[in-house]
Amino acid sequence: MKRKRLIGDILVYGFLTAAALVTLFPLLMALMNSFKTNGELLTSVIALPTAVRFDNYVRTFEKMHYLRSLGNTVILSGVGVGLIILFSALAGWKLCRTKTRLSGFLLKLFIFSMLIPFSSIMIPLYRVTLLLKLKNSLLGLAFVYAGLGVSMAIFLYNGFVKSIPLELEEAAAIDGCGPLQTFFVVILPLLKPITATICITNVLWIWNDFLLPLVVVSDSRKYTLLLSTNTLFGQYSSDWTAILSALILAALPVIVFYALFQKQILKGISEGAVKG
Amino acid sequence: MGSRRHPNRSLLLFCLPALVVYALFKLFPAGAGLVYALTDWNGLNRDYDFVGLRNFAEIFHDRYYWDSVLFTCKYTAVMVVVSNVLALGLAVAIESRRRAKGFFRTVFYMPNMISMVIGGYMWMFIFTKVLYYLADNYGMKFLDRSWIGDPRYSFIAICVVAAWGAVGYLMIIYMAALQGVPRELKEAAAIDGAGGWISFWKIVLPMIRHAVTICVFWALNAGFQVFDVIYALTGGGPGRATQSVAINIYEEAFRGNIRYGYATAKSTVLFIIVLVITMLQLYLTGRKEQEL
Repeated sequence: MKRKRLIGDILVYGFLTAAALVTLFPLLMALMNSFKTNGELLTSVIALPTAVRFDNYVRTFEKMHYLRSLGNTVILSGVGVGLIILFSALAGWKLCRTKTRLSGFLLKLFIFSMLIPFSSIMIPLYRVTLLLKLKNSLLGLAFVYAGLGVSMAIFLYNGFVKSIPLELEEAAAIDGCGPLQTFFVVILPLLKPITATICITNVLWIWNDFLLPLVVVSDSRKYTLLLSTNTLFGQYSSDWTAILSALILAALPVIVFYALFQKQILKGISEGAVKG
Repeated sequence: MGSRRHPNRSLLLFCLPALVVYALFKLFPAGAGLVYALTDWNGLNRDYDFVGLRNFAEIFHDRYYWDSVLFTCKYTAVMVVVSNVLALGLAVAIESRRRAKGFFRTVFYMPNMISMVIGGYMWMFIFTKVLYYLADNYGMKFLDRSWIGDPRYSFIAICVVAAWGAVGYLMIIYMAALQGVPRELKEAAAIDGAGGWISFWKIVLPMIRHAVTICVFWALNAGFQVFDVIYALTGGGPGRATQSVAINIYEEAFRGNIRYGYATAKSTVLFIIVLVITMLQLYLTGRKEQEL
């Protein structure tokens, strides 16, 4: 029995370790080779670099306008997620508390479109951004993300509000709170757990979204991290040391974010998926 | 209290901000797409004319479009199976042991944090540099393939990278579901003489059916919309051999032709395909759950 258990352990941990190595392989190769000179890389792609040089990083940091691209991405994700949370919490709360035919209709209206693939609305959406002069505007794009993201968030808020006792709102109303004050003082703090989930899933979505900015943003000063990386990849077609250092720089913010908030992220991901 | 007497008025006020952005950036484009699909609108002329169903008639004969549909179906079928089997396998393996759970979970989920564009370019380095190096210097001749240039192998390359990105996400969902399976049930089965394999099929899998549905549904949806991985790895090439529908539509609209009307018609057909598959799946899973 003991021996059988040992063999099981070896098999399972062997499998997991092999899978972990495959998973980390591209990241480690990119990291390792980003410190090499072009000559070193030509000689061997799997040897360790002879010294840790940051020359490639200095080169690409400027070339991809790293800080500007990072700032643009932060603004876009921050404002986008802020709008999604504010708009959806307002709507999700009232939709749950109002029992009329209109509320049923609105909830269905918000939810049904979750089926529509993004590439199906991409071209008309491009035209809308042209007509509203939102092309190349980061704030405008944040509103577009709000429009695309409210469905899911309203659905989640609506479900969560059901678990909040009505008495709290009634007590607030008796104390003379208007509906808006009740929302901001009583309801919004109670929504915190689901707000955290919505915040995490949407930050990751907007941060890593590529197609929408690719279509809507053409001004290189408004480029997100992904767009800058993509452009740099095109410019340095075979200069791998430059490209790899750019890829590491582009991946760095999410890796740091992951290291800091791992627990919340994994919890948010599984909750967001299961309830959606 | 206005909200007491006019519940709908206060409801509309609270929904207004969400409704405005939703209508502008989702509902209107969805509706307008159906109209544009009937026009010859392009990026060159300001005006456009209605051409009836001519765009759809053209799609019917557009070999490249149907090739991309076929490619997308093939890709989706492979991804639904491969990513779910791998994710469930990893989740079961991690949950079956006591030690190093957190470490493996952290590692396997990491690729999901990184954009598939960045991940795709990192893998491009592996496929175009590292594998050749290993083949030449370590005698691993089976790695000596044109992974990006030959459509047979680039399909494999695309699936490898896409699975690398997706498996961690599905694994997290499966792990959460597995933790919900009561330990007593498995112990009872073991006492009744059920081995690990039987207890997995007869007890664990039925208990996590809900998670399987979620993950299959997610993989189907993600498969039909695939863009980033292919854009980064092959750009749809060589030629058009690895074009997904999303890449095909993007090229029609924003590269070369700028035929917006025709591209919109293509995206309408994509929507109909996705809708049919979703309905079919909802119908099938609904029926299965009634049976049980």
